[in-house]
Amino acid sequence: MSLLYSLARALDRVSPAPIAHAHCDIPCGIYDPHHAQLAAHTVVRMVDLINQLEKPGPNATAEQRQEYTNKLTRYIATKEQHSEIAKSELRILWADYFKPDHLKTFPELHDTMWKALKTASKARQEINLQAAEDLLKATNDVALMFWKTKGFETITAKAPYPTERQTVYPKFK
Amino acid sequence: MFPFTRFRVEDESMRPTLEPGDYVLVNRWAYRFQSPKRGDLVVVRDPEALDRFLVKRVSDATGPTEVRLAGDNRIASRDSRAFGPVPLERIVGKVWIRLKR
Repeated sequence: MSLLYSLARALDRVSPAPIAHAHCDIPCGIYDPHHAQLAAHTVVRMVDLINQLEKPGPNATAEQRQEYTNKLTRYIATKEQHSEIAKSELRILWADYFKPDHLKTFPELHDTMWKALKTASKARQEINLQAAEDLLKATNDVALMFWKTKGFETITAKAPYPTERQTVYPKFK
Repeated sequence: MFPFTRFRVEDESMRPTLEPGDYVLVNRWAYRFQSPKRGDLVVVRDPEALDRFLVKRVSDATGPTEVRLAGDNRIASRDSRAFGPVPLERIVGKVWIRLKR
């Protein structure tokens, strides 16, 4: 231990040196809220499709019932899968991307994330358009915070998918 | 403003050049009359949290108004690969002396 090092450490007792982070973060900081938003759109779309699906009447043939069951099952399976993708993506952003520093700018971060995950579970469990819409809104709220931490402005625009719901996009320079 | 200021290093992205607990003395006037060069050790304001400081190495200084930064410990570094180039005004100064633990 050098004399200068001891001196610097002694100085810390009087006035602590600021920290220069040699920050480490594996894997390499590649995050994007778009996956969560896209999964939420899929959930909304599946609820729409389920609600539009014509139910077989009392005189429906076996083939018609089979086709109905097949479509309904496929929509439900996709809704299950994509609500889980939304949850997984939100958890990654919450646990890995957002840092304590971000809480200073967004004190509501934990509450937003927690509610977003609960909403995703509800959208998964039920055939509930409101829950699906709430999930999409929650992913948009997270996207707003995310892009702000990256220093990008955002626009809210109608998505170019059949769901056509309002979606938050970054304005890349 | 006094030209020299000290920082204490935390985290591991600059290993083996800098270990956690080392101090660096930083010259805040180093880039008054000359530009950063590739290979310089610098302290910058974190582009993703401006109230925080990062210590990194300049990996590309070809841009007139910005530099790219990299950690010496490539597999464990959040740097310009994640947050892009850093404007020159975010540079606090050049590391002048390293005080090893």
